[in-house]
Amino acid sequence: MDPITFEIIRHRLFRVIEEGVITLKHVSGSEITCEGHDLMVALHRADGSLLLAGIGYLHHTPSAAEACKHIVRRFAGEIDEDDVFLLNDPYTAAHHTSDIYLISPIHHEGRLVAWSSSFVHVNDIGATNPGGFCPDATEIYVEGFSSPGIKLIARGELRQDLLDTICNMVRSPALVALDLKSMIACHNVAKERMQALYGKYGAATVDEACGALIEQSDRRFGERLEELPDGRWQSRQRLHCRGEDYLVALTMTKEGGRLTFDFNGTSEQSRYAINSPYWATWGAIFSPIFSVLCPDMVWNEGLTRRVTMVAPEGSIINSRRPAPISVSTIATVPMVNWSSLHCISKMLASSPQHERYATAVWDGGYNAVFMFGRDQRGNFTIGYMTDVFGGAGGARSYADGVDVGGDIPNPITRTANVETTEARLPLRYLFRRRVRDAGGAGRYRGGAGIEYAVMPHDAPDGGLRFVMTGKGTRFPTSEGIGGGYVGSPPHCFLVHAPQGDDEPDRLGTALDELAGEREAIAWGEFPLMGRDVLYVGSSGGGGWGDPLMREPDAVLGDVRGGLTSVHDAGEIYGVVLDAKATRVDVAATDARRDAIRAARGVAAAAA
Amino acid sequence: MRLSPTLDIEIEAGGARVIACARCGHRLGPATEPWKPRATLRERPMEELGSVHFSGGPVLLREFSCPGCATLLDTETAQEGDPFLDDFLLE
Repeated sequence: MDPITFEIIRHRLFRVIEEGVITLKHVSGSEITCEGHDLMVALHRADGSLLLAGIGYLHHTPSAAEACKHIVRRFAGEIDEDDVFLLNDPYTAAHHTSDIYLISPIHHEGRLVAWSSSFVHVNDIGATNPGGFCPDATEIYVEGFSSPGIKLIARGELRQDLLDTICNMVRSPALVALDLKSMIACHNVAKERMQALYGKYGAATVDEACGALIEQSDRRFGERLEELPDGRWQSRQRLHCRGEDYLVALTMTKEGGRLTFDFNGTSEQSRYAINSPYWATWGAIFSPIFSVLCPDMVWNEGLTRRVTMVAPEGSIINSRRPAPISVSTIATVPMVNWSSLHCISKMLASSPQHERYATAVWDGGYNAVFMFGRDQRGNFTIGYMTDVFGGAGGARSYADGVDVGGDIPNPITRTANVETTEARLPLRYLFRRRVRDAGGAGRYRGGAGIEYAVMPHDAPDGGLRFVMTGKGTRFPTSEGIGGGYVGSPPHCFLVHAPQGDDEPDRLGTALDELAGEREAIAWGEFPLMGRDVLYVGSSGGGGWGDPLMREPDAVLGDVRGGLTSVHDAGEIYGVVLDAKATRVDVAATDARRDAIRAARGVAAAAA
Repeated sequence: MRLSPTLDIEIEAGGARVIACARCGHRLGPATEPWKPRATLRERPMEELGSVHFSGGPVLLREFSCPGCATLLDTETAQEGDPFLDDFLLE
């Protein structure tokens, strides 16, 4: 077709997505949506296949396509103009019950031509724990409202009975209703814009362009894969939950124009809520495919059709109902993101032409915290600590990882300002900064993650309770590339105020300055009361290349910037500084690096 | 041709393909076999790196370096007994 018309339509489709996201944020009052950008908007063809994966959490877009296809099948013959469907059952297509999909048909002149999809993490879903992550769940039946597909809006009329039923089950009905209405508004805008597009160019032209977009992505992805060597790459990630260790094992194979992700060797499903259902795992492998392997392509079915996944049934990445899955999005789904990224980056790094696309493994710092209780205004509230979205970038072949650079599955993730959180919740931040020594060492350093400390402030009940869940703190997961070190694991503590602590304002600008007994935590529901402090230190991104090859002046800069300690500068990077850390002692550095190199060989010989 | 940022695949006289350190050229065996058993391995608990690098887990840091120049070729985190991650090209 005419290439100019094609490009105009392509750009218009991107704008539909962008305007949908803007609308979603403007209507929502949720910090998860508006601050953290825990959202997604996508467009689909009439059969539900993915046309254009938008921004937000990318791993939701292939899953949303499956959800859309499911709606097409389930409601065949009953899909009318201005309908809106809701689906959040993880064993149908969703990731966990809190991440509700809304799916809307788009009609032109009476004919179904496309779909829009979206998700947000709603404020509450009526599970055993506020916020939707359930550390004590042993089956999905206690993880909140769950539907394999309902028609929430019929021909433009809201099914008030359904909305009332959903809101009747949740702790924060007004906010959950607003979450849903923000998505409805998003879909209304997407529909208007798409109908305007179809109106201007006609269905034949727009449909031709949509088909061409998918074929273009298929062709380009095939060309990209053919440029890379055929091979096999492996990754291994572990997580820890309630005394048990679990393994996600991945072997990725590229042959010609196809990729296979084989998760054989992965642990069996858990009795705890860290499991991931099939479609969540399927979606998770695409986050790095889209953003790292194919950043210059339109993300759609043209890419997904070249990928095969082998996910053993009954494993933690393909669990069977009724295994609990509420924590999937911050446990096994990220593990799949990161193991896939690890393999994809190693594949890219095997090609000098494509090495610049590769990154060491990023880290989302997933020790998620949902606070709940009465806020400073006396109202019951549930609030998410969006600091967890800060993430940390993996290093590249030519540059350090971006400090607090976000999360590989979401190009627009971010954290709220401290003041925003303090206005929302009865908390006071003692500090928030980049974590020193967190970034994996390397010629190029991994990005640092966030650390923060909060305590109750102006809380009517003396404090709040919180739910902490995630992948645990036991294992680092942000692997390095080409000799780079893994980023540090997360660290989380409750620091209990000393008895008889009369200090009027509990001050401290670092963990080590906080007096009191330190309790390591990672999973469960906890009180944060009185003068106790919650400390969360996130992981760093993986490093790239041998740390001994990092420019000594770069290490000096890291030390002076608070990103690397003098200890790590000497012990890992082999850089010796003067007493005041103002300059590099070149001779001592050369000697120290020679000694470290010798120690690498001596250790093996001794063994 | 390369296997990774630190390892080249070189063709020797006679056509055999071998894996070699990209920095010094040290040979690490035929390209049809895993190279890690021929690298110098230092395996140590993560806690040896310092407190921020360790969070209570039985995690080992494996450092594979070149026997010729001691440059780090690759790293892995592992538990005792884990097999080496084995990346190879199919050609």
